[in-house]
Amino acid sequence: MAKHRSTRDDFTQPLRRLFLAILILCLAGIFLIWWIDSPRVERFRAEVVDRVVPGMDWLITPVTGIANLVRDFQSYQRLVEQNRELRSELRQMHAWKEAALQLEQENARLLDMNNVRLDPRLTYVTGVVIADSGSPFRQSVLLNVGARDGIVDGWAAIDGIGLVGRISGVGQNTARVILLTDPSSSVPATVQPSSQTILINGDNSVAPVVEFLESPELVRPGDRVITSGDGGVFPSGLLIGQVAKDRNGRLRVRLAADYGRLKFLRVLRHYGIELITDSGSIVNGLDATAPALTTDEEDSDG
Amino acid sequence: MAKLTSARLWMMRCVYLGFAACIIFFHLLPLDTVARRWAPPDLLMAMTFAWALRQPDFVPAFLIAVVMLLADLLFQRPPGLVAALVVAGVEYLKNRLSGLSNASFVGEWTAVAIVITGIVAANRLILAIFSVNQAPLVLALFQVILTIAVYPIMAGFTHYILGVRKLVPGDADATGNRL
Repeated sequence: MAKHRSTRDDFTQPLRRLFLAILILCLAGIFLIWWIDSPRVERFRAEVVDRVVPGMDWLITPVTGIANLVRDFQSYQRLVEQNRELRSELRQMHAWKEAALQLEQENARLLDMNNVRLDPRLTYVTGVVIADSGSPFRQSVLLNVGARDGIVDGWAAIDGIGLVGRISGVGQNTARVILLTDPSSSVPATVQPSSQTILINGDNSVAPVVEFLESPELVRPGDRVITSGDGGVFPSGLLIGQVAKDRNGRLRVRLAADYGRLKFLRVLRHYGIELITDSGSIVNGLDATAPALTTDEEDSDG
Repeated sequence: MAKLTSARLWMMRCVYLGFAACIIFFHLLPLDTVARRWAPPDLLMAMTFAWALRQPDFVPAFLIAVVMLLADLLFQRPPGLVAALVVAGVEYLKNRLSGLSNASFVGEWTAVAIVITGIVAANRLILAIFSVNQAPLVLALFQVILTIAVYPIMAGFTHYILGVRKLVPGDADATGNRL
């Protein structure tokens, strides 16, 4: 194949070959380093994304805006029909609103009566989605809040209704949210009425799969799925969605969050669940072999 | 090849870089955050092959490596692997097809199709060996087929609109009447 080349090429050919070999080896080396020491390279990746994507932001925002405008414009075509739907929905909503107000009052009264303390530490930071994963094989979005705003790996991101995903990779100004639909996403959850713990695994489809379900006969499509807080990653009690059955009879979760319009996400500050490590001291006190409560046990209790 | 002026050479390299940045940018737009059943074609790969087979000097291996590595990093792929495979694939194709400058397009298309399939297969194989979890096979197949399907369009675009053409011996002064 070299017979077509000129003399210049013949001279530089071995050099080019060598250079090429080094280049490919370097790239393969990067892959190997990533495989061996993934967190370090992922931090580097977050750093690169942090540099590149906010630089594109001035362009991403208008282009996304125009695209959404076109999409909205298409929906104008069925405006009349939509209007009618909305009006009937509004009528229903009025009834719901009344019910909600009454319930809210009742709830407040009951909470007051029971002296319930809601978790005061569950505050949030709101971020804007500036980019998505860019690949059809990964489901993630990039937020414009990062280490600067105190975001920490592992925190939950919700869209106001339901859980959207988990922070994975934090740069100075950006943070990546791995969505529940991503193949690498796996969230411990509880199915509501039967309170069985399950694992929700993303598989690159719209509805993640329910796995490790103890007794499927107790679960019906439509049951609520909320986070269980197992593993200490997420706070418990965040709404994820409803159980649904797909065509193959597999249980999946229809997500409550509106994945079609991820624009603003709340990142919940979560500093881990306190673990109760000692066995109860009163039980120890009742035990005949343990004489009385020692003071240091009481200290570790508090 | 020596007939190319260096200004045009560097300009076309910048044009390649610009188009690559454009494709990456449109991939990153948060238009569709719902998981899809299909995968769009890998335009970056198709464009790289189309350029490399028309005018290898416009896309030196180092430039391809940089663009592909950046794409790897931004698209959440294992960094370096796809880049290494694409650089190797492009070099293989350059060596194989450089002699057949006036070969039919169908021959080129077939060769590119084989190489793209090879790259994706090798990628999946290596990821499986290293036990990295990867995308569903159906999606990957979809992407391969669409990439191969989109290649003629990409080649036509580079050929007719950007004026990136093969230099045949009789056509030595193709130095920048276009663009």
